[in-house]
Amino acid sequence: MSDQKTTTLNFKELAMELLPEGASFEACLTCGLCSSGCPASGLENMDPRKFIRMALLGMDEELSTTPWIWCCTQCKRCQHVCPMNIDISQLVFIARGNWPQEKKPSGIVRSCELIRSTDSTSAMGLPPEDFIFVVDDVLKEVRETQTGFEKLEAPMDKPGTHFFVNQNSREPMSEPDEMVPLWKIFDMVGADWTYSSKGWAAENFCMFSGDDDAWYKVIKTRVDAVNKLGCKVWLNTECGHSYYTMWNGIHKFNMDVNFKLESLVTYYAQWIREGKLPVNSDWNVNNIKFTVQDPCMIVRKAYGDSIADDMRFVVKKLVGEENFIDMQPNRSANYCCGGGGGFLQAGMTDHRRAYGKRKFDQIAATKAAYVLTPCHNCHSQMEDIGHFYGGDYGVVHFWTLICLSLGILGENERTYLGPDLLALLD
Amino acid sequence: MIEEARYFETELAVIGSGIAGCAASIFALNKKITTAQVGNTGAVAYTTGYLDLLGKLEGDKGAIDNPWDAITALKDRCPDHPLNGISAADIRAAFNEFTAFLGECGIAYSSPGDSNITALSPAGTLKKTLCVPATMAAGPKAFAAKTACVIVDFKGLKGFSGKQVVANLHKQWPTLKAERIVFPEMLSGEIYPEVMARALEVEKTREALAESIKAVAGNAKVIGLPAVLGMHNPDFIKTELERLTGFEIFEIPTMPPSVPGIRLRELFEQVFPEKGIILIPQQKVSSLTFDDDSATLSLTDNHGPITIKAKAVILATGRFLSGGLEAHITGINESLLNLPVTQPAKRDDWYFEQYTDSRGHAIHKAGIEIDDSFRPIGEDGRPYHERLFAAGIILAHQDWIRSRSGAGIAIATAYKAVEAVDNFLHA
Repeated sequence: MSDQKTTTLNFKELAMELLPEGASFEACLTCGLCSSGCPASGLENMDPRKFIRMALLGMDEELSTTPWIWCCTQCKRCQHVCPMNIDISQLVFIARGNWPQEKKPSGIVRSCELIRSTDSTSAMGLPPEDFIFVVDDVLKEVRETQTGFEKLEAPMDKPGTHFFVNQNSREPMSEPDEMVPLWKIFDMVGADWTYSSKGWAAENFCMFSGDDDAWYKVIKTRVDAVNKLGCKVWLNTECGHSYYTMWNGIHKFNMDVNFKLESLVTYYAQWIREGKLPVNSDWNVNNIKFTVQDPCMIVRKAYGDSIADDMRFVVKKLVGEENFIDMQPNRSANYCCGGGGGFLQAGMTDHRRAYGKRKFDQIAATKAAYVLTPCHNCHSQMEDIGHFYGGDYGVVHFWTLICLSLGILGENERTYLGPDLLALLD
Repeated sequence: MIEEARYFETELAVIGSGIAGCAASIFALNKKITTAQVGNTGAVAYTTGYLDLLGKLEGDKGAIDNPWDAITALKDRCPDHPLNGISAADIRAAFNEFTAFLGECGIAYSSPGDSNITALSPAGTLKKTLCVPATMAAGPKAFAAKTACVIVDFKGLKGFSGKQVVANLHKQWPTLKAERIVFPEMLSGEIYPEVMARALEVEKTREALAESIKAVAGNAKVIGLPAVLGMHNPDFIKTELERLTGFEIFEIPTMPPSVPGIRLRELFEQVFPEKGIILIPQQKVSSLTFDDDSATLSLTDNHGPITIKAKAVILATGRFLSGGLEAHITGINESLLNLPVTQPAKRDDWYFEQYTDSRGHAIHKAGIEIDDSFRPIGEDGRPYHERLFAAGIILAHQDWIRSRSGAGIAIATAYKAVEAVDNFLHA
């Protein structure tokens, strides 16, 4: 942390500018529904209602410097439950951007810098040539070692394909075998797809740092990459904020884009409905229970309940309807787990775990053995709070379970399976 | 960016997601009318959970014991009141259908009886209501029987004080006591009923709370708690806590943001889509237009534009809080179609001088007019459109807060509006 002073913003003025049409702070009853349903309430002696009231009282210096803005994951649940539709997360975004770079959590700043350090836009700084090498290397090994996948493809920079597929950097960087189930799924449904050596990475911590300019540049690199290859659909894989940052950024920065933005989850559902992914739950002979975590970034903040319903359709097909226990509340009303907004990278471990206690309770209430989620930040956070609070559940990707159900999950692709699931494969 | 606009076709579109809107969707569902529901949730999350029919008559000092008799009297006192055109049999049927639906979906309620129930308020005062959630039912019974009871409240929970409840009731209920305990794993800071309710859905939390309750129960036979007994399965949580403590337990509503209202909202949002209702909550309809064979609703949610074509529309947009009515310097407007609003002649007449004036304030009876078929009246004194109906507190000539009749007006008028829609669609 440096001594650089944080500029004091006029939050009341900003709030007034951000109000949706017809909304009014005068009509705010200070009812507290926002704070009541916010897992960040109480951290740093702040909550959403307090934040708004302090803004209206002109307590700008306090709001300009409170570290609470790094505990708020900008999940927009406060807005979702507010009868007046007041969006506090936008004020938080502005407050984040206003912090001097040196004072912002270094993990978020560093991730943003790494994203901008190569054409990959990877928060782990993996350059294009390394991505190409890892994909090629893993593909070669699968072709050599896995029967039935001797001709598996993982196209790179192939022009004119239908799908431009992104990938969270965690896979090529730390657990490359986790890419394989996705390739197998594409192979099975006959998808016309490609990776790109440029703009392939999913994550965007520049948005979390409140830096508009950096956010725009990351999106621009990715949009240019899709346009260059002439793909029809930018397909977001199992990563929550990557969809939001691209979709929201394109709107926010008024960008001219001639392709569609889609989420892999909707395609899982579509391919299952069309019979292209013939998954079933016959494998789940021990009736192992599963629940689902709805990533805020693609459900409440973007698609709404339609994608949440797709997720449930897929899970029920995979594990059996009777073995799916929905978390409460769910879909658009779901609670953020505490992994979003850069919280995992912000270095505020105690606060993040306190925030995550509610999610832990919700998972515990389901008594499920596994949580499925198509989001890497949700995944990491739920694993961490599970260990911290003594939970005995696992967290799995959709692609893992899809390939498990199809009987094509390779030995190196089973990292997230517990003994109960592994036993079924032996 | 290439986007696909979403388009839905339905028989009925309900605008508004408060009690009236949700009741309308339930009644439509039961009549197998395909339904889309959109619009703000408004104040539904603020309800106590009690469903009032009529608790007070204008001009009377006392509360109403028998709401069915009082409705007859309402015809003389308030001839234009929206409940007046509805038979007692229909009102009872509406309450039965509504509470039965809630029960089937996970929140059991008492059925409408022949008289009002004397229920406890968050402050320990008494109020008359018609139906109460099963989690609250033991409270009025314990009060009536003056059973030895401890009201337990929690360190850090604002807006609910056991001592206050006892202070207001001890003369009528001498065996009532108050105790304060720490909620499991919530030792410091402000805690919210919502957080406690969700935590009680975990078995370990229930077990810990049960031990704390037993430690302060003394010789009580029944325990009163603020309404925190779970969010999604309250009857089960209550039964479990009773099993673990050995005491009969009841909830008392708390100040907003309170659990019973959030329970209802989350129940509706969970169950309606499962039952085939197209539900788009929290989004205001930006335009409503009619042509010869349908109505068109336009709105935008986070993901973009939505169009709904419907054969009939029920306007249940509420009053000021929910945005159905708007108060301006020049007068009060209906916000979506600019329907004529019955209102005081001038702004100076909206309120009496004193906020607590026992006569109530004229603005609280502002609203739109309807005909016998629950169709709103337009500028020309005739129904605005044959496809438009209305229900709930947007209707004029009632002060639901003072008469303790909010749920009654919402549920009964929604019942009649849906009946009128059904007649229109299927005549």
